[in-house]
Amino acid sequence: MNRIAQTLRGAALLDFWGAFALGMRYFFKKKPTINYPFEKGRLSPRFRGQHALRRYANGEERCIACKLCEAVCPAQAITIEAEPREDGSRRTTRYDIDMVKCIYCGFCAEACPVDAIVEGPNFEFAVETREELYYDKEKLLDNGDRWEREIARNLELDARYR
Amino acid sequence: MSENMRTIVIDGEEVTVPQEYNLLQASEAAGREIPRFCYHERLSVAGNCRMCLVELVGAPKPVASCAFLVKDMRGGPNGEPPQMRTLSPLVKKAREGVMEFLLINHPLDCPICDQGGECDLQDQSMAYGRSGSRFAENKRAVEDKNMGPLIKTIMTRCIQCTRCVRFSTEIAGVPELGATGRGEDMEITTYLEQSMTSELSGNVIDLCPVGALTSKPYAFNARPWELNKTETIDVMDALGANIRVDARMGGVLRIMPRIHDDVNEEWISDKTRFVWDGLSRQRLDRPYARRDGKLAPVAWEEALGIAAEKLSGDASKIGVIAGDLNDVEGLKAAKDLFDALGVTSLDCRQDGAKIGGQGREGYLFNSTIAGIDKADAILIVGSNPRLESPVLNARIRQRWLTGKCEVGLIGEAADLTYEYDHIGTGPADLAGLSKKRTGFIKALKDAERPMIIVGQGALAREDGAQVLRAAGDLAAKIGAVKEGWNGFNVLHTAASRVGALDLGFLPGEGGRDVAGMLDGASSGDVETVVLLGADEIDTSRLGQAFVIYVGHHGDAGAMRADLILPSAAYTEKNGLYVNTEGRVQMGARAVFPKGEAKEDWAIFRALSARLNKTLPYDDLNTLRMKLIEDHPTFGEIDHAPGAASAADFDPAQLGADGDVSDAPFESPITDFYLTNAIARASKTLAECSAMAAGARAELQAAE
Amino acid sequence: MYDFVTQFGPLWGALASVGQILGFIVVLLLSLAYLLLMDRKVWAAVQLRKGPNTVGAFGLLQSFADFIKFVVKEIVVPAGADRPLFLLAPLLTFIFAFITWAVIPVAPGWVISDLNVGILYIFAISSLGVYGIIIGGWASNSKYPFLGSLRSAAQMVSYEVSIGFVLVTILVMAGTMNLTTLVDAQAGGFWNWHVLSFDMLPWPAFLITIPMFVIFFISALAETNRPPFDLPEAESELVAGYQVEYSSTPYLLFMIGEYLNIVLMCALMTVLFFGGWHAPFDIAPFTWIPPVFWFAIKVVFFFFMFAMVKALVPRYRYDQLMRLGWKIFLPTSLAAVFVMAGIVVYTNAGQAI
Repeated sequence: MNRIAQTLRGAALLDFWGAFALGMRYFFKKKPTINYPFEKGRLSPRFRGQHALRRYANGEERCIACKLCEAVCPAQAITIEAEPREDGSRRTTRYDIDMVKCIYCGFCAEACPVDAIVEGPNFEFAVETREELYYDKEKLLDNGDRWEREIARNLELDARYR
Repeated sequence: MSENMRTIVIDGEEVTVPQEYNLLQASEAAGREIPRFCYHERLSVAGNCRMCLVELVGAPKPVASCAFLVKDMRGGPNGEPPQMRTLSPLVKKAREGVMEFLLINHPLDCPICDQGGECDLQDQSMAYGRSGSRFAENKRAVEDKNMGPLIKTIMTRCIQCTRCVRFSTEIAGVPELGATGRGEDMEITTYLEQSMTSELSGNVIDLCPVGALTSKPYAFNARPWELNKTETIDVMDALGANIRVDARMGGVLRIMPRIHDDVNEEWISDKTRFVWDGLSRQRLDRPYARRDGKLAPVAWEEALGIAAEKLSGDASKIGVIAGDLNDVEGLKAAKDLFDALGVTSLDCRQDGAKIGGQGREGYLFNSTIAGIDKADAILIVGSNPRLESPVLNARIRQRWLTGKCEVGLIGEAADLTYEYDHIGTGPADLAGLSKKRTGFIKALKDAERPMIIVGQGALAREDGAQVLRAAGDLAAKIGAVKEGWNGFNVLHTAASRVGALDLGFLPGEGGRDVAGMLDGASSGDVETVVLLGADEIDTSRLGQAFVIYVGHHGDAGAMRADLILPSAAYTEKNGLYVNTEGRVQMGARAVFPKGEAKEDWAIFRALSARLNKTLPYDDLNTLRMKLIEDHPTFGEIDHAPGAASAADFDPAQLGADGDVSDAPFESPITDFYLTNAIARASKTLAECSAMAAGARAELQAAE
Repeated sequence: MYDFVTQFGPLWGALASVGQILGFIVVLLLSLAYLLLMDRKVWAAVQLRKGPNTVGAFGLLQSFADFIKFVVKEIVVPAGADRPLFLLAPLLTFIFAFITWAVIPVAPGWVISDLNVGILYIFAISSLGVYGIIIGGWASNSKYPFLGSLRSAAQMVSYEVSIGFVLVTILVMAGTMNLTTLVDAQAGGFWNWHVLSFDMLPWPAFLITIPMFVIFFISALAETNRPPFDLPEAESELVAGYQVEYSSTPYLLFMIGEYLNIVLMCALMTVLFFGGWHAPFDIAPFTWIPPVFWFAIKVVFFFFMFAMVKALVPRYRYDQLMRLGWKIFLPTSLAAVFVMAGIVVYTNAGQAI
């Protein structure tokens, strides 16, 4: 009996008509689309966007070349080389992030003991060539300088949940 | 159960261990790992870190397992075996307490610490550490000490385990490290703010359980987890130390020792450890040919063509000199090729040592390195083992420290880190020794296992063969060679020497030796000279000869060369090396050869095809099969022959009869740090060398 | 419009024919551009989105922007591909999609070639369509396209069978293979459309033709690789199926070919079942609208249904697809052919066909 009912339902396309009715209801609903370049949504402080290397207030770069981000990066997008700076402190000579490989998981920021590498709120960094997405240390530090206010605010807002 | 064994109960499990074990060793025998910082198998017990605390049933407090012997344990009242616990809550709590104290003054440096990732303190704090600190006061800070160009110190990280102090006093024999102050003020220092004058100083880096002593050249270069670790063999001296080469992105970043109790225990010399920066400098990464007096890069095809043309001439006018760093496979391929060409002027003895060709025992360290631990009198002839093989020297020192062994020296007086009887300086003293009745000869004669160590300083001279005979005579007279013990030893300085001698890489019928080849080259009788990484010869005597240099570093040989065929350095090829005791060891490739460079054997294989003498092997395995077929000794990997054939060996037959000169023996090594092309390319070692030269000059000035 | 040659002589007639064909193609492509936009807008609406709305007012120029983008992009031919075949495949798809339209009557007399065997022609050409896909998949010399094209070949062959039987049912009922005649047979009001075919009463032919229409609609989805039967390009399994290696203009040709086929299917449904250009009621307000618009309205409606299906129905599994085609549609449509033929033979007994 069940099978016959099933067959009849199938033949009458009842499921389809139900879906069709539902589809038509949605068809005329108000659309929640945001008109992106002109309107923008709210970003969580935890938003994981473009990477940045931060500096201390005195201008000293935070990164100490501990390579934890490199180790934790699941996409192996980070490449670090380090050697002692003239003053003997441990600093990177190379800090590259291949943004093409990056999956924006935020582990690097999570692993960083000095909050040097962070994922900032910027997500509008599309470029025309692949090469421009191979970020080097200079670019990352520049990002840090540019977005420091927002990054610092986001870290502060999120600090009490950590 | 033997007298010496005792049954104890560890965590409810009965084990039987030797009486003289300490509790830590006993636990390890039972499969329990005990955390420790200060305890080290090859150093004396200090018992000051307290991390190895265990619970002894019946004892009022936990005891330090490294400092408590099994024989001192007390059993139960009714003869029950003594009990200890390593996993009890008491033990855990005690260790947590110790850990908290250790961490009070230890900085939170892990992210910038080179020890991070391979740090004992870091690892053990994962098991016994608290998540946060309860210490609200100021942390201690300690001034960093200058320990020279090799060791970087961050003394704030020091946990005062004193392993480094014990190493330098006990193993290295240079009591230059010590602790001053007490309690929180205790500091490890070099007393005089000078670098350690030991050739083994680098080992304190490995010994340091925290990041207080780290490698200066390697500072901040890499993390342990990103390194590719390759276990291979060292070629800096003839000891064949077992090493681990850590490489990253095609470059060697550090060299560490591997444990091999019969060879290097777990020490390596500073030259072995810090030579790695030489592997990336001065490299020959593509073939060169001399055009209009200048070396110009050429393609392999062209280079091989030039080589083939030069080698297809009169075989009697070709000479081949092997260097000190070659692997056996490369030498075998070269020998096979030049034998096929009819070349008889082959020699592997750049320094002109008069050995080889008379049976293996005549040039091996027959007592074996481990045999030093059993020797009860050691006569060193024409050698400075401290410079020629520091790790072996440390072993002699270990034996000497037991007080059961006397050491005598004929040759230059030098600080060998142990006391010795300085018998004389020249061959006459060696010959005269057997005629004496008192003094060191008595010790040698009375000794059950006497050793005579003949160094290259005694052999690499005009009358080397006669000196060898004299040493052999002495060995025969004192009965150094007998069933189960062969006390006649040759200490080599070149890693490839024994392998080459085993191959018979020596002048054939009518062939010239190195000196003959150089004479021939100056006079024009030898027209083509092939140098297999030979840089230690007097290149100014090569005259007008066409020099083909097969090697990996741009050193003396390459400077003079007319054609350079770039080959692989020891970290860049799989190869066999035979150490001074005849032990065949297998090296492995850690990184690929630089640029267009090829492995040595492949170069000769390619060359052989050009000369229509194609060698019968296309890969390393077939080559090794052929090698073992021709010379079965190479098939016995990691086997030292030792006294196996002592019965057939008459040391008195060694060398040749004749007069000896009066010239005193001189050690072949004047500058420990710069003995080969790789070391000469190293910045670090150059710095060390300058430092050592400065120290020597200061010493002379003071005198 | 098909007898230009007889009217204007060979030269001017041929030129007029070419002009007519070009005009037809242009209109077709233009309407395709907006149908594509409509497709996207419909999905967007169902998914509570706005769809393309930036290029031109309400995104009206979106398709043209896309067109320009496709054309100016680099044509990538994979290194291992069979170059001539690789480029031939999209052309084949594109051309076959166009030439089928030659026999579709869009209004009285508005047909490029009023073939007497129009249905057979459609049959023949749409069967060729599979070549474009299978050649494309093979010439890419890549695994996913190859699997995709194999799937698509099997799928199209399977559903062509039931489509064929549906067509046979209709042409048996109408007694003609000429599409213009077929449409004319449905004049007079929506009850005369084949989907209802009340003119057959008292024979309840609609009991056959309505299921036949459903089968045709669903088979058309499968035939054009539309969801829920887009297995040849199932992105979760085959990345993009036979189109994986295609880029730029060749991809565009595939795309146009595919959409043209969809519109063709809509047009066929209109012609075969829904009275072509005829208004639903043959009375005043409806007859004011020109026939071609009635045709267009119907095509657009079916296209809307296609879009809705894509927006609503999840993808079939491949075995379900095969089961549906061979075990349900084929027997059903075969039975329909028999029954319909029986009716026709019975009612027309004694008459010459």
